[in-house]
Amino acid sequence: MSTEIASPSLLRPSPVSVTRVIGAALLLALAAFAVLGPWLVQADPAKQDFSASLAPIGGEYLLGADHYGRSLLARLAHGARLSFGMAFLTMLTAAIPGVLLGLAAAWRGGWLEWTLELLANIVLALPGLMLVLLLLAFAPGNFGPLYFGLALTLWVEFYRITRTTTATILKQPHIEAAKLLGFGSGYILRSYVLPSIAPLIATLAAFAMATAIIAISTLSAISVGLQPPTPELGSMIVELLPYYAEAPVHVLLPPILIFLLVLGLQLIAQKDSR
Amino acid sequence: MRQFLLARLAQAGIVALVVGALCFALMRVLPGDAAMRIAAGRYGPDARIAEAADKVRLELGLDRAWPVQFLDWLASLVQFDLGHSLVTGAPVVDELKVQLGASVWLAAAAIMLSLLIGPTIGVFCGLKPNGWTDRLGLAGSVILRSLPPFVLGLILMLVFAIWLGWLPPAGFGTWRDLALPALTLALGLAAVSSRVTRDAIATVVKAPYFVFARHKGLPEAAVVWRHGLRNAAIPVVSYLGLQAIYLVEGVVVVESIFAYPGIGHALVHAIVERDIPMVQGTALAMGLIFVAVTAAVEAASAWLDPRLRRTQ
Amino acid sequence: MRVALFVACVAIALSTLSSMAQERMLRVAGPWEIAGVDPAQSGYVFSRLQVAETLVSANATGKLMPGLAQKWSVSDDGLTWRFTIRTDAIFHDATPVTADAAAASLKRAHAGVGVLTQLPISEIASDGQDVVIRLKKPFAAVPAYLVNFSTIVLAPASYDASGKVTRIIGSGPYQVKSLTPPLKLELKGADNWWGGEPGISEVSYLAVGQGETRALMAESGEADLVFSMLPVSVERLKRNPKLDVHIATIPRTRIIKLNAAAPFFDDVKERQAISYTIDRAGITKVILRNADLNATQLFPPALAGWHVADLKPLTRDVDAAKRLLAEAGWTPGPDGILQQGGKRFSVTLLTYASWPELPPIATALQAQLREVGIDVKVSVGNSSEIPSRHQDGTLEMGLISRLYSIVPDPIGTLLEDYRPGGSDWGAMGWSNDELQTLVEKLAATSDPRERAALQKRAVEMLQEELPSIPVTWSELAIVANKRITGVQVDPFEVNYGLASVRWAE
Repeated sequence: MSTEIASPSLLRPSPVSVTRVIGAALLLALAAFAVLGPWLVQADPAKQDFSASLAPIGGEYLLGADHYGRSLLARLAHGARLSFGMAFLTMLTAAIPGVLLGLAAAWRGGWLEWTLELLANIVLALPGLMLVLLLLAFAPGNFGPLYFGLALTLWVEFYRITRTTTATILKQPHIEAAKLLGFGSGYILRSYVLPSIAPLIATLAAFAMATAIIAISTLSAISVGLQPPTPELGSMIVELLPYYAEAPVHVLLPPILIFLLVLGLQLIAQKDSR
Repeated sequence: MRQFLLARLAQAGIVALVVGALCFALMRVLPGDAAMRIAAGRYGPDARIAEAADKVRLELGLDRAWPVQFLDWLASLVQFDLGHSLVTGAPVVDELKVQLGASVWLAAAAIMLSLLIGPTIGVFCGLKPNGWTDRLGLAGSVILRSLPPFVLGLILMLVFAIWLGWLPPAGFGTWRDLALPALTLALGLAAVSSRVTRDAIATVVKAPYFVFARHKGLPEAAVVWRHGLRNAAIPVVSYLGLQAIYLVEGVVVVESIFAYPGIGHALVHAIVERDIPMVQGTALAMGLIFVAVTAAVEAASAWLDPRLRRTQ
Repeated sequence: MRVALFVACVAIALSTLSSMAQERMLRVAGPWEIAGVDPAQSGYVFSRLQVAETLVSANATGKLMPGLAQKWSVSDDGLTWRFTIRTDAIFHDATPVTADAAAASLKRAHAGVGVLTQLPISEIASDGQDVVIRLKKPFAAVPAYLVNFSTIVLAPASYDASGKVTRIIGSGPYQVKSLTPPLKLELKGADNWWGGEPGISEVSYLAVGQGETRALMAESGEADLVFSMLPVSVERLKRNPKLDVHIATIPRTRIIKLNAAAPFFDDVKERQAISYTIDRAGITKVILRNADLNATQLFPPALAGWHVADLKPLTRDVDAAKRLLAEAGWTPGPDGILQQGGKRFSVTLLTYASWPELPPIATALQAQLREVGIDVKVSVGNSSEIPSRHQDGTLEMGLISRLYSIVPDPIGTLLEDYRPGGSDWGAMGWSNDELQTLVEKLAATSDPRERAALQKRAVEMLQEELPSIPVTWSELAIVANKRITGVQVDPFEVNYGLASVRWAE
């Protein structure tokens, strides 16, 4: 369902653009790295070797080693699996209810819209950071509540964009005319609403995944949710940051992975100029 | 108009009540000994925390029944008294004045900057989707979104404070101190708002009325100005409202790396140290700001899109 | 582009303007936030920045020096201490520092949560120019306790009617010009300090929590004096021709606090095995970047009398560790983790991030302990969790940073840590009568020669029994811009001697 919403045009026979192919290839490569990487890279991501502290890239360690002398290749592979997986789940848990509720609110209006608006407003009015920190207090040292807390705040973004945009579309004269002419709501949804909101939602979804990973990294920076030695892309950045002057490329490796992920998603989500 | 204001006021009231009650309930049910946390927050990790906690418990009456404590808070709230911070002992209002004030300045500066950067780039990208400007814009926004704010902040510090030597790496009080944290936040915001604008403009550009206007032979700039911007602005403005909310709380790390006294920093401390009056006060203030921002966004959207006014 | 250019131009214009205006202010940055004005909370900031003074002070070797009290004496029975207040000291509100005012400040400190609560005090009073402290039993280290920041002497006008401190009116060379908690404090020279006029009359202090940012403050020249640098930035700062880096080992040791009542650590062999497993040299070299911090015993060499040079050092010896663990009955299980009677050697190491280096050290310990088959889960929480888990007995291991100069004499901390029944930051599930007798004797003795033998024996016992395991010592790194001279490092962090800092010509 969500993929349908996120990129409906993928399902329709449309000329395959080069951009999309690059995006898809990028995502496939990342998925392979995250899924197969931990399995192919034999090194233990938690194994320390002080004599290899901050080993350079391309030497004995393919992607270098962090300050503890742990293989960065192994850590990136394991980290990609954990972070991408969790970010994807978070995005889905936020996007599915967000978009569905947004559509429902715009479509039905009335008390449903009113209730949903109130709910969204209350969630927004509560500092999201507080929600995450509080959830975490119940299950310290777990990534689960961290991501769940993020999804709790992220869905509102999807909901609001969907509701506002859909409401605007539904009030356009030709849609109102189509309704009067007796076209079914399914038809209107498919031919008018979805094509308009899809690119917005896809853009949001791509960024939401990045937001999730970056949020974890932000929380790690204030020592929340740290769980050594688990390799997680966001907390890896925090761990490596103090060494920015000596090993700048090492620090940038996890952000590069995040960059490739968001780029791939953006390229796929890109609306073509037809 | 009066109805609109009344509805907003009612909403503000509900938000205040719900936020206060929720904060109170959540802070109550949290595991761990609040007095210990407060003591650690006050006297630091070298002190004899267990002994200090006993005194804190007595002093603050933390062993009173919770309904009594909640009613206490409500009664004070009606008199516009938010109580005293359990950690610093200062009135919550005073702390908010400094920290919320600083944060609002920071957030406002960041939004202004991001409005200068984001939508401007987005319009140029959206007018020629998939052109080289668009590709560059995409790459830029993705890079900015892939960097955690503290990495971005550090890079900006290295460039502007060390390399160029124009701005101080940290501090507060003058606009020079404000520039780097605001820019850090603004770049993160612009990364998203430029894409939202770009998509909206790209949609508008294809719309029949826009194509028609172009065919009419109106100058490009006039077409964009008259038809493009206004229509594209709707999702951008509605997204901006959201961003404003995230900003006020999403500034934690930026505040702490730039040594800027703000609400995010204060809130994290307050939650960790179980400073309930501070958490309630902060959350309340943020909730009310939220109500104000939503009202502003709705008013702006209604102005941009007259059709929406019917539902208000 | 045009916008960027415009912003840049304005930036240059205003930066030159404002740097001209601020030319003559000493700008200090450090990690400490000012949470509240109560002396027990942030007295250390006011003491270190020389706003408020204590009766007794200490020099860089820990020797007690006169502060607001010019001399002190104790009665023959050891029960009555007299501190004579100097006659030329004046509070910033122009009232004289009297024995009355000093006694009032001390009484308040005694009723609060500072170190004075640990002394057997029966009465604090004033008598003419003397502050008189009467004890229930003899206690030799009373003057050392009066160095602590929680005993700073404030003017009567600092307190409100209920006795709460509302503002800091001290007697030091600097007075508070403005305070914006929690981050900023501005000071100006006091008119008539008994020690003369401060070298630089305007000081602004900014609390900068992030170590990276502090380093950049020093490098960019935005701060003249920056305290507490991250280990990684020290080398880089040393190479900077504009900066001077001062480093001192301070009496603070990072130790593993163990629950000696838990089945994992109840045998001294198990504790010794843990100690043998730790790669202290590696941790100090890789994480702390200073090989001198390798904690071969509890106290660093700077603590005269407490560091025993000929003590057998704590070292790494994985084979010995494995042997000791085997002797204690632990055998490798099928998953490589040790077990005993079906119980896996799996423990939680609790630590906190108030000191940024603790979580990284915990991560290193985790990997090292895994090598001998001990499974460690690292949990990074709030500093209050250590005492609270100590109280309810669920703590297994904790990595903590323990300060031995809360009063300049480590006896203050030892009394606290190894008292019967254990204590929050000290022993847990472990007690030793001989050590307690030793420590109590030390507290009552002031003769240096008599003390030396007792100190040596106490340190030896701690080394042998390892109720808590030393990992590394700590350093204080201070960076000063070459614009200023006269910077001293005080390992006891009593005061940073800002008053003697001068502009370099």
